[in-house]
Amino acid sequence: MMPRLGLLEWARKRSPWMLHFNSGACNACDVEVVALLAPRYDVERFGVLNNATPRQADILVATGPATRQAAPRLVRTYEQMPEPKFVIAVGTCACSGAPFKTCYNVLCGVDKVVPVDMYVPGCPPKPEAILYGITKLLDLKNGG
Amino acid sequence: MILDTRFFFRVLVFPGFLFLFSFTLFCDWFERKVMARMQNRMGPSYAGPFGILQPFADWVKLLTKEDIVPEGAGGLALAIAPIISFSLLVLSMLYFPLDGANAFSNEGFEGDLLLVLALVTFANFLLFLLGWSSSNPYSGIGAVRIMTQFVGYDIPLTILSLGPAFLAGSLSLSRIASVQKVPFALVIPWVFAFFLLALQAELEEDPFDTPHAETEIAAGYWTELTGRKLAFVRFSEDLQVVFGAVLAADLFLGGPYGPAFELGHGLPIVWFVLKALFIIFMLEFVEAVCARLRIDQVVRTNWKLMVPLSLLSLALVTFCIPFVQSATGGA
Repeated sequence: MMPRLGLLEWARKRSPWMLHFNSGACNACDVEVVALLAPRYDVERFGVLNNATPRQADILVATGPATRQAAPRLVRTYEQMPEPKFVIAVGTCACSGAPFKTCYNVLCGVDKVVPVDMYVPGCPPKPEAILYGITKLLDLKNGG
Repeated sequence: MILDTRFFFRVLVFPGFLFLFSFTLFCDWFERKVMARMQNRMGPSYAGPFGILQPFADWVKLLTKEDIVPEGAGGLALAIAPIISFSLLVLSMLYFPLDGANAFSNEGFEGDLLLVLALVTFANFLLFLLGWSSSNPYSGIGAVRIMTQFVGYDIPLTILSLGPAFLAGSLSLSRIASVQKVPFALVIPWVFAFFLLALQAELEEDPFDTPHAETEIAAGYWTELTGRKLAFVRFSEDLQVVFGAVLAADLFLGGPYGPAFELGHGLPIVWFVLKALFIIFMLEFVEAVCARLRIDQVVRTNWKLMVPLSLLSLALVTFCIPFVQSATGGA
């Protein structure tokens, strides 16, 4: 039995706009994120739009480990997003730093820099997994 | 104007504000769906039946997001420009004879065609102010591009919209619509084609998408907009598309009068909506198959191609008027 959603929760759940940020990924996760937007997976079915600016995004899709160089930019991008905002760490590198975590220039996963709400592990995760992460996150955050 | 309930009903509910609001959201959904199908995608599917509530969900969500004003951004212009441009567009929509009469339940006046064009120009100027005052280089470039493009394409659009006005012998929107026994799109197809092209540029759709070219200048003039401002600017953009479609339907497709006009009055609003959706479909079709021009190409196309062509086609219309009037039994 689904709990009855208010208008606001319904709207937020149905219209999650995303911003993709690569803080040092090898591009595999990025290709999977882009595949989400392409006809085969077409996230616009769920109301997900890819935005060109952090000002209009609800979800920051972060790929790759947080490197020393990209970390301040990642934080800045996160701070530019309007509330309510969520972060999804896509890929094992974004979750934990994976093979790069001992590198001199890597600060482990993106959760060392910005608060992460959902982890989608995989190297790279399948588009279905990213989509599942997004929908799961929206369910959790909007009570239903 | 006497403040009676009928007046309020017509302005606020039908065919005024509430109708326009829902129709604009519906058109947004229609555009996105057409675009998605052209790209072999499904488009919005889960918000309401066939995703029809998707634009409404976006709108409600944007209204409730945090409203960020960037440091150094012009306060007043940034705060009121979205609302005023939205209001101007709604006001201009009220002048169309959507169900045979306009929202003020009269026949309009001689020259309301020019009034609505002027109102939309003004609304676009406010969008320029908005981009200019949000203290972001991308917004600034986007805003200047709006101005360059809009000022340029407003000229051919106005000249071309005079074609139907010449044929009808009137500058009144309802009169131009009502004299069309044969739609002007069939009588003067060349003007109709150029008009749609100029409209495409006016509405900033591909191939004239330069003011918010994502690959060059982030989101263009709305790069810094969040929350309520973005909600109203997005809505203004959608409303502008509806305005363009309704204008084209009124001038070239006979507005609220169906082919069965002789038989009975029918449902004028249904005809108007169908014709507007047809125009939107054509605009979206062109948008989906075209790539973006560079800004210099956009400007060159305007001044070297569209302006001379629109003047020539107007001259041709003037030449054709006696023949058309004798063929259709007088307009």
